[in-house]
Amino acid sequence: MKKRQLENLLKEFHQEAYHWSRQCCSFDEDLAKDVLQQVYLKILEGKAIYKEKSQIKTWLFSVIRFTALEWKKKVKNTYSLEAEFDVAETEQEIDTASHEELIEKLTERQREVLLLVFYHNLTLEKAAEIMEISIGSVRTHYDRGKRNLKALILKKTLHENNR
Amino acid sequence: MKTIDNSEDQDLQDFFSEMKAKDSAIEAPQFPKIRKFKSWSLIPIGIAASLILMAWFYTRDKPIQTLDHDLIIITLEEGQNNELQFKIESTTELESWDSPTSSLLTDF
Repeated sequence: MKKRQLENLLKEFHQEAYHWSRQCCSFDEDLAKDVLQQVYLKILEGKAIYKEKSQIKTWLFSVIRFTALEWKKKVKNTYSLEAEFDVAETEQEIDTASHEELIEKLTERQREVLLLVFYHNLTLEKAAEIMEISIGSVRTHYDRGKRNLKALILKKTLHENNR
Repeated sequence: MKTIDNSEDQDLQDFFSEMKAKDSAIEAPQFPKIRKFKSWSLIPIGIAASLILMAWFYTRDKPIQTLDHDLIIITLEEGQNNELQFKIESTTELESWDSPTSSLLTDF
């Protein structure tokens, strides 16, 4: 694929790529911007090569996920206290939790698969490709994630109704 | 293969639709402008640098070389109190030289 063509495709997916980058960076906008910048740099410098084996969106999402993981590893030593210990979830937390906060309560894999399928309209096969795990594992995370998120949504709705 | 079951996962679909609607207000950063590297643009810079180097090479002052210290003669002389002293002389040429001692002239 020619560089110009690739650039146009990247521009086309830029908005979606940014949202995925945010989701991979625990909704940290500054970090998401840095990660995306790094991804474009990798692509333009030829460190990440699109071999046309998969769809461009799948490949781009995969590079973003990988780069975000790399960044997370770099700042691994700077855990917040909340991340280090399981903080007991209070009733009020669920009541006032935003969509992002509810999603963050799921495990990383469950969160990723649900976002890829429901938010980015990808299939489970594509999600498996991006997450670099087998389709069987993706199905497991998908089912558990759905169950857990439904429970959280239900809990939130009940709290809102009881107010 | 899509696995979203419309009836079963309606609540999840609603949840993500709301999330998407909220996210639509978030502005993505501008797509970075990609600078195209043109190697021919370096040619004039290269020519200018070569000309400056050439000009500097031909106009620089040549270092003045003196011949004062071309030759150094170190001699060992006996002083007034029979002590030995080094005498260092410098000259540009060596036309004649006499040994201050006779030791070098002595045949053994």
